[in-house]
Amino acid sequence: MKLTILSMAVSILLFTACNNGSKTTNNSVGGIDSAKTEVAHTEADIRTASTKEVISAYLQLKNALAKDNDKDAAEGGNNLVKAIGNVDQASLTVQQSKVFKDISDDAKEHAEHIGSNAGNIKHQREHFEMLSPEIYELVKAGDKTGQKFYYVNCPMYNGGKGGNWISETKDIQNPYLGKAMLNCGSIKEELN
Amino acid sequence: MSRVTKGFMFLLLVLMFIQFIQPPRNKSRQASRMDITRVFPVPEKIHGILKNSCYDCHSNNTRYPWYAMLQPGGWLLASHIKKGKQELNFNEFGSYSRRRQQSKLKSIANSIKDETMPLSSYTLIHRSAKLSQTERELVTNWLEQMRYSLL
Ligand code: HEC
Ligand SMILES: [Cu+2]
Repeated sequence: MKLTILSMAVSILLFTACNNGSKTTNNSVGGIDSAKTEVAHTEADIRTASTKEVISAYLQLKNALAKDNDKDAAEGGNNLVKAIGNVDQASLTVQQSKVFKDISDDAKEHAEHIGSNAGNIKHQREHFEMLSPEIYELVKAGDKTGQKFYYVNCPMYNGGKGGNWISETKDIQNPYLGKAMLNCGSIKEELN
Repeated sequence: MSRVTKGFMFLLLVLMFIQFIQPPRNKSRQASRMDITRVFPVPEKIHGILKNSCYDCHSNNTRYPWYAMLQPGGWLLASHIKKGKQELNFNEFGSYSRRRQQSKLKSIANSIKDETMPLSSYTLIHRSAKLSQTERELVTNWLEQMRYSLL
């Protein structure tokens, strides 16, 4: 009898332990959220939040992939998630805002997957390939900095299907093939 | 009773007890208005492959296997279904934005090409869910066509 009671007690304990487990994962999600709102609350951030941060997080990610660095790429992905969340829609032009509304959810999802896939650079690159045309549209919608960007294509990625990316320099550093073929790619379009 | 027998009995009791904690089932009797078949023409053969290999975790209806009755097997399955449906739900495909639909079609093709889906822990038991080379090509070609139709 003692044994039964004991085992029941332990099972209940186990069960609640499991529940706690799932709760903590929820909390961690909440944690990200609250971190986000915290960032959003600093006033300087609100004023400067624009597509600029989004693009710079994308470039950080791109450069990490060109170096075959999955950990830095994950960090870039996480920064991109934050940057997208921080964009103050009121600061955008009509055209930018239209594009941003269209891409933000999907781009955020790609960035989340890149952020959570350190150790799997192949998968990070798959999401990067889907993300790049979205960032392209955002850049094309115009940004106030007037910085020049380049839309680059490498025909060799993905068994000859090819892949595109946005670069801040004319110098070609391939984020899909990395060191294996760093200079593969040609500029398709100059932006701004 | 020796220590070992006691320990064993104890474990058995715990196992028996946890059988009472059944996760809720993923069963919807309603035909979804947002089903992927409402968005794209899905050939019978492709639909069959998806249903057999993916729908247990990526739809509103799971065909529950025997081990779902046994805990913690059912818990594991339930967690796969929860995460799987968040990523992709074939029964809700029509509710995704056009852009998300495009991304999902590509992600599905990627996951099939890379053989990361169906999950290997699943095909271990569900041998028939494993895709053959021809099935993989059939589905990925179709996905590509559908993606172009959205461009
Ligand atoms: C046993 C349950 C299970 C089955 C069967 C299954 N999946 Fe999944 N799938 C998951 C889970 C869990 C995730 C999310 C976590 C992960 O990526 O491992 C997921 C994620 C995905 C993703 C998102 C991948 C990403 O990270 O971009 C796609 C696409 C996908 N599944 C497609 C499929 C397809 C296509 C099939 C059938 C050929 C399939 N799945 C079969 C459980 C399953
Ligand atoms: Cu992913």
